Formats: sequence, structure tokens, C-alpha cells
Amino acid sequence: MAIGRTIRDDFDWPLFIAVSTIALFGVLNLYSATDGGTTSDAYVQQLYWLILGFGVATLTVAIDYRHFERYGWVIYGGCILALALVFVLGRSVRGSTRWIALGEFSLQPSELMKIGLIIALAKYLHHDTKTGGRTLVDLIIPGLILALPMGLVLLQPDLGTAMVLAFIFASLMMLTQLKMRSVITLLATFVVAAPVTWFYLLKDYQKERITAFWDRLGGTQTDLLDSGWHTQQSLVAIGSGGLTGKGFTQGTQTRFRFLPDQHTDFPFPVWAEEHGFLGAVLLISLYVFLVLWSLRIASQAKDRFGAVVAVGVGAMIFWQTVVNLGMVSGLLPVVGMTLPLFSYGGSSLLSTMLGLGLLMNVSMRRFSH
Amino acid sequence: MITLSQRREVGEFRKRYRWMALFVVLVFGGIIVRVAQVQLFQRDRWSGIAQRNITKTLELPATRGVIRDLAGRVVASNRPSYDVYTTPRLLQPDDLDRIASLMDLSETEQAALQTRLDQIPLSRRSQQLELFRDIDREQLAALETHRAELPALDIVTVPLRDYPYATLGAHLIGYLNEVNAEDMKRAADPSTYHPGDRIGRSGLEKRYEALLKGSRGFRRLVVDARGKSLKGARPDSLEVEMLKQPVPGHDIQLTLDMQLMEAFDRAFRPYPSGAAVVIDIHTGAVRALYSKPVYDPNEMSSGLSTKRYAALTGDPFRPLIDKTMYETYFPGSTFKAFTALAALEDAVVDPMQRVECLGSLKIGRQKFRCNKRHEWVDLYDAVVQSCNVYFWVLAEEVGLERINRYAKAFGFAERTGIGVNSEAKGFLATREWYEEHYGQFRIGYTLNTAIGQGNTRVTVLQLALANAAIANGGSLYVPQVVQNVRSPDGSLSETFQPRLKRDVGVAPEHLDLMRRALIDVVEDESGTAYRARNKDGVRVAGKTGTAQVVSRKGRSEESSSAWYLDRSHGWFAGFAPADDPQVAFAVLVEHGGSGGASAAPIAMSVMQQYLGETEPKEAE
Repeated sequence: MAIGRTIRDDFDWPLFIAVSTIALFGVLNLYSATDGGTTSDAYVQQLYWLILGFGVATLTVAIDYRHFERYGWVIYGGCILALALVFVLGRSVRGSTRWIALGEFSLQPSELMKIGLIIALAKYLHHDTKTGGRTLVDLIIPGLILALPMGLVLLQPDLGTAMVLAFIFASLMMLTQLKMRSVITLLATFVVAAPVTWFYLLKDYQKERITAFWDRLGGTQTDLLDSGWHTQQSLVAIGSGGLTGKGFTQGTQTRFRFLPDQHTDFPFPVWAEEHGFLGAVLLISLYVFLVLWSLRIASQAKDRFGAVVAVGVGAMIFWQTVVNLGMVSGLLPVVGMTLPLFSYGGSSLLSTMLGLGLLMNVSMRRFSH
Repeated sequence: MITLSQRREVGEFRKRYRWMALFVVLVFGGIIVRVAQVQLFQRDRWSGIAQRNITKTLELPATRGVIRDLAGRVVASNRPSYDVYTTPRLLQPDDLDRIASLMDLSETEQAALQTRLDQIPLSRRSQQLELFRDIDREQLAALETHRAELPALDIVTVPLRDYPYATLGAHLIGYLNEVNAEDMKRAADPSTYHPGDRIGRSGLEKRYEALLKGSRGFRRLVVDARGKSLKGARPDSLEVEMLKQPVPGHDIQLTLDMQLMEAFDRAFRPYPSGAAVVIDIHTGAVRALYSKPVYDPNEMSSGLSTKRYAALTGDPFRPLIDKTMYETYFPGSTFKAFTALAALEDAVVDPMQRVECLGSLKIGRQKFRCNKRHEWVDLYDAVVQSCNVYFWVLAEEVGLERINRYAKAFGFAERTGIGVNSEAKGFLATREWYEEHYGQFRIGYTLNTAIGQGNTRVTVLQLALANAAIANGGSLYVPQVVQNVRSPDGSLSETFQPRLKRDVGVAPEHLDLMRRALIDVVEDESGTAYRARNKDGVRVAGKTGTAQVVSRKGRSEESSSAWYLDRSHGWFAGFAPADDPQVAFAVLVEHGGSGGASAAPIAMSVMQQYLGETEPKEAE
């Protein structure tokens, strides 16, 4: 088919504008966060990544998404392979191995894995056309599709990404009709699994963050020097922004380096400190729009694969955003989680753009035959 | 390509989208509520922390006012003390080793410091903490050289109180020590004192604390999360004052003459303890307030060890007691002047009438001894020769009530109102008091009172002021030790005028008679202070006295100084120069025995030095 005609007639402008606006805000915010510091050219790099990201997204849009369905298992397998390669070639940063060096750049296969998982689950559900209520048995195969990459990610260890994978899986399963009995059984399993995870699977620093979180919820501020300190300084940044903020590049929490990882995991406090409540609401609204729009695209998709991919991408953005904002605003414990499109980081941006490319793809081909 | 079945399959999901959208909106709504809570409702709290995060406050201590004597000699001033402060939050793990080696600390000292730092609660880790006080020059040089590598440290120059005359006048001048929780609570403005500050704890330092203190200032620096100072980077959102200059305290000029004080110190060398007061008879200004022995205010300021404190309290000569006003003594024969004035004023006796002294007097079954056989003496002779028998006879005529009345007029048994430290009131026993305490009143009590024994207790300061009233024609003044107060810019902010307490109500001719008698105590061959007189020097007038010592309870028998501590106290109180009085004085030599032999020579020698060569120097 002729792609030119499609772009003119079916291009999803609202999606494009929302994505571009968030990404642009992200670059501006990054400029402010690193201004005057040793990484003051980070925003230029981010711009390069963004251009690359738009390129990747354009490529993704150009290929009919049904090809992704056809090669679903290959894509999934490739991602698993890349994940496995991390343990062979990987670079270790702060005690966890997540990166593969590609020439000058480093790539984080776990980021790509999110897209791989969405495509794999979409392919599975596309062919599993059962429309009645599903039982636990029906979850075995998709469960295995999740378990393999999730296990590898946990081994790195990267708790945040593992959580996103699980959340995407859960969201997609909710799309199908689970029997109430199954839901209850799942919840029961979780109750049993949680203590096991706590005592046998979590590393000490992860437990510490969660403890610090509960302490803060309970009002007892224990240790401001470690995990609690991050959240505390994040709240100071957000709170001191007030209604209208301190102004672009005027955030003191940012400039004087009180925020940890201010351009990767904590860009929102930078934004909220400088642009206040009004700026924060504007940014959050863009994410709300993006997620709701992906649901709209799903509802108009012409097949199950397209619908599941759209919901999967929407879920990916939704959960990452919610966990990141919840973390920086002290509602959730501190886990490494980027704010999609807004955080500094090539791999995260690329996988997000890849997902959004798929979303655009589904959107543009909703009527095509 | 699309089939109907596919459409139906997609339709299976359709009913879920609405629930999902609702879920998404609710979750994001929750986040917005949370952000609103933090940014709109808790804004002030977080802004406060943000501002404290990026500022480091360095205190600029105020220079305490200087105290000078009437000639402008410095009595209390300040010298620089180099104190080391740290902000615990900024300390790097290996900083402590570094500091320990630069400061030349022992291992135990370093361990103690580590423990101290570990105990600081998180809430105070951003506040400055004093690590070392008054470090020596070598330590200062070592720290200054490596200052750039230790951004967590600050060296603050703090003025430390210094008393050039050390112990001289220490009771009056007082000392400082660290504020306690109570002081901080009492202060009207809670930020007046910070922990570690010093406060006037006694004497003038305490009395004029508010004036001397001044008020602290501060300098704020903008710092990053590692405490590095960022010069010139002042964010607009910072709404705090960055610099407040300290205001120095007021300077105080005393009426005291430190040269006179030094003269007393030299004259008292043969005796371990005693006191002396000199008053300007025209104004009530205190020229000397000397008490021996005394503690070192420099030592009191730095905090006494329990052992040192025990040594001070256990000292039989009681260095902690200000003997000029906090301790009371029998006035002994110095009191006869006032008994005589009472008799003259109420005309109960003819001063020319003579009494024969046979060396003792028998009244009822009791026999009272005089110091010698004076033969026939009139009132004048009795004062000059200090004849007890004459005064006993006189006392029977005058009675206890009159003696007390005139003693009161001269300021005995009444606080002088000097306004510094605690002051003893002294005591005059009344008839009722004797009845209550001894069951019944006997005439013997009146006789004892007349010669300054009995139960009459006076302070050295009271006796000096009473003699000033004799010398100046009957004006009893409130003693003053402060002449004026100057603002930090040098201008006079307050000058204290003489405060007359009352006229003692004695006729001038009677006072004149008494002055002549007091002159002859020294100048007549029969006078009790004749042997102490200044030959061809300053003419001094006064009354000698010897006060019995009440055996103190709890004194250990085996004490080698016990015999000494049972000796009587020697008094000499009067005025000088004899023919044109300028000052009145009272000198007490504890356990000095006879006043004529102990106290009078001291007074003579000091008055000779003070009034001998030149006129007393006035300030300015």
C-alpha cells in the first residue's frame, strides 16, 4: 500500500503533538537540570537521541504492524537473547548489570524487552480467540512469556523494569475476561509470594528503600541520609515550587545538587520546582491524554493484535509514569524508574519511541484493508 | 483482509476500555491531589527546608563591653579566642583523622570526639557545632594551612573575657560562664542566647549583662549539597537576610580606683584574709571594695572542676565570700562613735561629765572588763581611748532603743542598695528580740551593744558609709560603683548621679565633736591608733575596733590554723584627710587581733599612698 496517502489522511496529529510536547519539555528541563554542571551538554545528547527516536518511530510506522505480528516470536527471541547477552558483555553500574556497550553508546536491553513482551503477548492473544471467561490454565502460556524475561531482568537486578513488565502483563490480562475465581486465586498467590520475595529475593538496598518508605508513611523519619533523603529532597523541590514555581533554571534544589539522579529518575521535581503546580498539572495532563488516547486507538483497532499492542504501549507509559511520579512525590518507595519521554537516557527514550511508533502504526491503519 | 470474526474478537475487549480509562483518570487524579497537597498546602514547610538547605549561617559574635576603672584602666576586656566549628552533615568520613592529626589529638581524644559527633541527632546535623575552643597558635596555623581541604570546618574568632587585674575586685566585677537552659528560657527573646554562649554569672558582669552583651550578627553563605560555598550565586527565591553586623556591648566606667585596690592588696600582704571599703564622702561613690582572699575570675569562667570547687569552698578563709558586703561582723569599738552620737543628740548626758574607769565595772552579779584602767574620762576621751567602762555607764542612760534608732539612721541593719551581688543586711537586736531568744532582757545586752558586741552585726560597706556620713556632715549615700555607661560609638548613654539616702539627723556640732575625737584617736598620744599614725604624712582619722570571733561550728580541732581562726578581728574605720575629709573607709583584718595594731596601719599606709603625693585622679 502507499504510505504517502496514509500519512496525509490518517496521521494521528494529537498523538504526535502530545508526544513532541512532552519530549520538548523534557529537553528544556534537562537543560535546566544540568545547567552549569559538569554534564551541561546532556540536553544536546538527549536531542540526538530524540531525533534518533523519531527516526525509529517513523521506520516503525512505515512497516505495517501486521509484519510485527508475523515476526512476533523472532522479535521476542531477539530481546531475550540481548537480555542474556548482558550477563556476558554487560557493564556494571552501581552493583547491577544492565548495559551493553555498542560502540560509543550503551544500550539497555531490558528497555527493549518491554516492547518485545508487548508484541509477544499481542501475538499470543491475537491467535487465542477464546472470548468466554478465562481460567488460570489459560494464563499459563502468557505467564511463561512474562516469566522468562522477568526472571532475566530480576537477575541483573533491575526491580523497576521487572515491575513494569509485570504491570504490562497484568494490564493485558485484564483486557481479557478473567474469571473472578482466577482473580482471587492470583491475589492469594501474591499474598504468599510477597514475604518470600521480601526474605529471599530482594537485595538489602531494595529492602531499605521500602522500609524507609513505610517509615515515612507512618510519620517516623528514620534515616534522612539514604533512601529517605532522596524522597525528602524531592518533596522539598516539589513543595518549594508553590503555585507558579521559581522560574526556569532557578530551582535551588536542582542547581545546588540536592536532588539525586535529577536528570534520570527525578526530572519531575526539577520541573515542579521551577514551574510550580501549574506546570506540574500541565505535564501530568499530557500523560493522562497520552494514555487515554492509546486506549482510544485500541478501541478503534481493526484486529486483536493492534488493540493489544495499543493497550500494551499505553500500559507501559501509564505504569512508568505513575510509579515515577508516585516515587518522587513520596507515595511509593524509591525504585529506579524513568519518566517516559521526559527522563534523560537513550535506551529508555528509544524503547518508548518504538512503542509510540507502534501505537501510531495501529492508529493509522485502523481503517486500511 | 479483515474478517467478521476478527471484528467480533476485537469487540470482546471493548467493554474493558471504559473501566481502564476510569482507572487511569482516578490514579492520575490521586497524583495531582498529592502534588497539590505538597505544592499548595505544605509549601511554606518545604520552602523553609529548601532555603535552609542552601544556606550556611556563620555567627558573628558581638564584642562584650569593656569595664574600666575611674581612671580608664581596663578591668575587664576581651581577647581573641579561636574556636573551631563544624557542620556535621558536611563531614567526610576521613575528615576526622585529618582533624585529629592537625590538632595533634590523642587517640582517646579522637575517640571521644567521634562519639560526640555520632550522638548528634539528624535534626541538628545541619547546624554548626563547636568542636574546639580557644585553640593555640600552632593548631590554628595547622588548620588554616589545610582549610581548603576541610570545607566542613569553620574557624571563628570569638572574643574571650579577660581580666587584667585577675583576682583584684573579682567579687564585684564578677565573671561569665556558659548559659544554661534556665538562662535561655528566662531571656525575653529566645534567640538572645545560643548553647555555648557565655552569660554574666556574678558581680557587675551579671548586673549589667544586658548592656555589656551587645547583640550577635550573622553572615549567611549560599552552599551546595556538599557545603561548598558558591560565591555570588544568590537565588531569587532566597528570602532571608544574608548579613547582619553584630552590635558591640556598652562600655562601663566604674567609680573604683584600681590603684587604690592595688595599694590595699599590698598592705594586706601580712594577713590571709580581710576586707576594705573606701567611699567618696561627697557622692557615695565606691573607690575601693577589697576582699581577700578571692577566686580568679579567669578560672571561674572556664568552669571549675569539682575538686577545685571543693578546694574553694573548703578554704577556711572563704575566697568565695565577698567580705565587704556578704559577710557580717561585730563592729566592736568602731560602734562607740554611734553610741556616743546617740547620747549627744538626745542630750541624755553631758559630754563634759567624767566617769572613773577602774579597769572593770560590776553591774548586778556580772563583772565587765575594760581593756585597761583609764581613770577619769569624759565622752571625748572615752572615744579616743576606747574606754568600755565609760560606754557601759553611758549605755545605762541611753538605753538600747536609742542606740538602735541612731544606728539605723546611719544605715546599719539595712541593705545599702549597692545593687551588685547579694548583700547582707546586718542586724541590730531589739529588746523584744532578746526577750524572745534569751527568755528575758538583761541590762548587760545594752552594755554589750554600746561597745559593738552583743548581737550587732554590720558589713564593712555599711561601716564605711556610716563613717562617710560622720565625715560629710550627716549625708548617708547609696553607694555607687558605676560612674557611667557608654554606647559602642563612645558617646555617654548614662551617667549616674549621687543618690542621697537620707540625712542621719544628727546636729552638725555633734558630728564635729565626733570628727575631732576620731582625729585624736590617731593624733593624741592616748589614742588607740596613735602608734599607727602617718608621721608627717596624710592625716587620717578613725576609730579602732576589735571584734570577738564566735567559734564556728564544725571546725576540726586538729586543724593547724585553728588557733588563728579563734583570734579576734581588727577594725579601723574613719575618714581622710582629717582636716578636709574626701573619703571614708572601713578596714577589717580577719583574725588580726587589735584593730589599732592590724587594721589601722593598713588604712594609714593606703591613705598615705592614695592621698599623699597628688590629688586623686578623676576620669577625663
